[in-house]
Amino acid sequence: MSNKIDRILLALMAVVLMALPFMASGYVIYVVNLLMVFVVLALGLHLVIGETGQFALSHAAFYGVGIYTAGLINNLWHPPFFVSIIAGGLLAAALGYLIGALALRMRDIYLALSTFAFGEAMQWVFLNWQSVTNGSNGFRISPATLFGYALVSDVKAYPFVVVIAALLLWATVALSRSQLGSAFRAVRESDIAAQAMGVNVNAIKRTAFTLSAAYAGIAGGMYTLFASFIHPESLGFQTTILILTMVVVGGIGSVRGAIAGALAFGLISELLRQALSFQEIIYGFILMGFMMFAPKGLFAGRAARRAPPPATPLPAASRAAATASKSPQRSAA
Amino acid sequence: MSFADTWLFLQQGVLSGLVTGSVYALLAVAVVIIFKTTDVPNFAQGEIFMVGGYIALFLILVMGWPYLAVIPVTLVGVAVLSGLFQRVVMERVIASKGVGVQMVIATLGLAYALKGLVRTSGLGDTPRSLPPLASTDAVIIGDAVLTRLDLLIFAVAVTVMLLLFGMFTYTRVGRAMRAVGMNPKAARLTGVNLTRIRMMVWALSGLISAVAALLITPKILITPDIGHIAILAYAAAIVGGITSLPGAVVGGFVIGIAENLVGLFISTNAIVVAPFVAIMVVLLLRPQGLLGGKLQVKKV
Repeated sequence: MSNKIDRILLALMAVVLMALPFMASGYVIYVVNLLMVFVVLALGLHLVIGETGQFALSHAAFYGVGIYTAGLINNLWHPPFFVSIIAGGLLAAALGYLIGALALRMRDIYLALSTFAFGEAMQWVFLNWQSVTNGSNGFRISPATLFGYALVSDVKAYPFVVVIAALLLWATVALSRSQLGSAFRAVRESDIAAQAMGVNVNAIKRTAFTLSAAYAGIAGGMYTLFASFIHPESLGFQTTILILTMVVVGGIGSVRGAIAGALAFGLISELLRQALSFQEIIYGFILMGFMMFAPKGLFAGRAARRAPPPATPLPAASRAAATASKSPQRSAA
Repeated sequence: MSFADTWLFLQQGVLSGLVTGSVYALLAVAVVIIFKTTDVPNFAQGEIFMVGGYIALFLILVMGWPYLAVIPVTLVGVAVLSGLFQRVVMERVIASKGVGVQMVIATLGLAYALKGLVRTSGLGDTPRSLPPLASTDAVIIGDAVLTRLDLLIFAVAVTVMLLLFGMFTYTRVGRAMRAVGMNPKAARLTGVNLTRIRMMVWALSGLISAVAALLITPKILITPDIGHIAILAYAAAIVGGITSLPGAVVGGFVIGIAENLVGLFISTNAIVVAPFVAIMVVLLLRPQGLLGGKLQVKKV
């Protein structure tokens, strides 16, 4: 049922995306490019928070690593653009692997705070490593090329950006249907139960962090295809929170939710870019409102496939249950 | 650097560190009491503190009130705001079955809303600071130079902390708050009204943040983005073990002194990144913090 709706929605999206370059102006194409980057970022965070349940707050750092790596390689050697994107993805993945090692030692708030600290430290690196990132003056990215074909405008970059986003969407869905996806969700529900079932929890957590960082790195590479400038200011905690909001308001644990959230919040943040104070106020109230009235987000994730949590038994009910099952339990003991 | 210089820097660093550290300690205590009783890391801590500073600025610069009236109004205003947030928003999140992630995001929502509201007020357009509460005449201790204002900051912060410890140890409401922190279900069974206690804890935390804001705003320039300072409070809370009140105080002083020493001996540029490095190192080597007791393992 919902599978059918998904298919219709996907087809509809494909049609719109294909028709768009023939009907829309440059700015609209730029915004759609940006939305595709947000979709990939949200999918990456979905893997680590939604699927694996690890509360990581350093996504913008990996995104930044992807942007600077891809941008630098592109500026220096002008290789075909996929080389620089893959390099950015790999470096981000390597860093993600290291941060995944942190995740093995801590959980919940400790993990959130240490990844937060890592993200802030990385932003500091972007700001202060003058010789590489050009620091607070911002970094210029020359147009990406593919065998001599230069992606000089948003419209020229557009098909490649959309195709990469579609590939990663396909990869995410395939991943969540694979055994690895089941292992991710087992770890999310309970480390210890997953371990008891024979899941290598440490390896799974590390994999989730690595993959998530790789997605963010690739998203950074996608950004270098159409954008010509990046400032470290936009690679801080704010951006991590923006992506987290997409995932959570969309619906934790749901790919549909991550995409819907990315599109909605990407649009809001772009449309309200000029009016910072209004953006912040609207943002704040959306966040509070959603958490108050729909904490599970727009699309609650896979609730149907999960067993309902054990209800706290009422005293009377539990006593009745205890008497009812007394004899077999006693005999078993 | 000669030995005499080093000795001078050490004295100055430690004493200035104790002053700024006392403000971080207050903010860390504000973070910890909320975390202990409601399990929520309050990501709006910095913004609540910032609003305290701006309420005081508004009353003094726009309304022209004297300090005597500004101080109580600011304290009460921030406490009410903070308590109301718990009562209206957070209780509603709990009622709709929100868990950790959702509660954190609700506090982030508050942070954004407060920042935006202060920005629209126009007061935040230029960095401002409050007129000094005490004279800024120099006071020389050993070879180090502090101001009277610094001494006042330190004295008030320490007094507030002592009052808090008194409250948590000897008063009914303080003990009820600790009981909720230890075991909410058991506390409710003994007749503690959880909703009310949680609201009072948030209000208390707001009050402490307002004290911190009133103390430090005459010394520094504030902008709507000053909430970043809460990162130092978090670092302090983590260094001390995020559930320990004495730990938060010790952590605050450690962070304050470390920050000043890094600034004097290494570079002012490194100050910004020092707290993050501190957070990561502490979490890696001693995740439960200095005074956090034994590490607990959750069982299924």
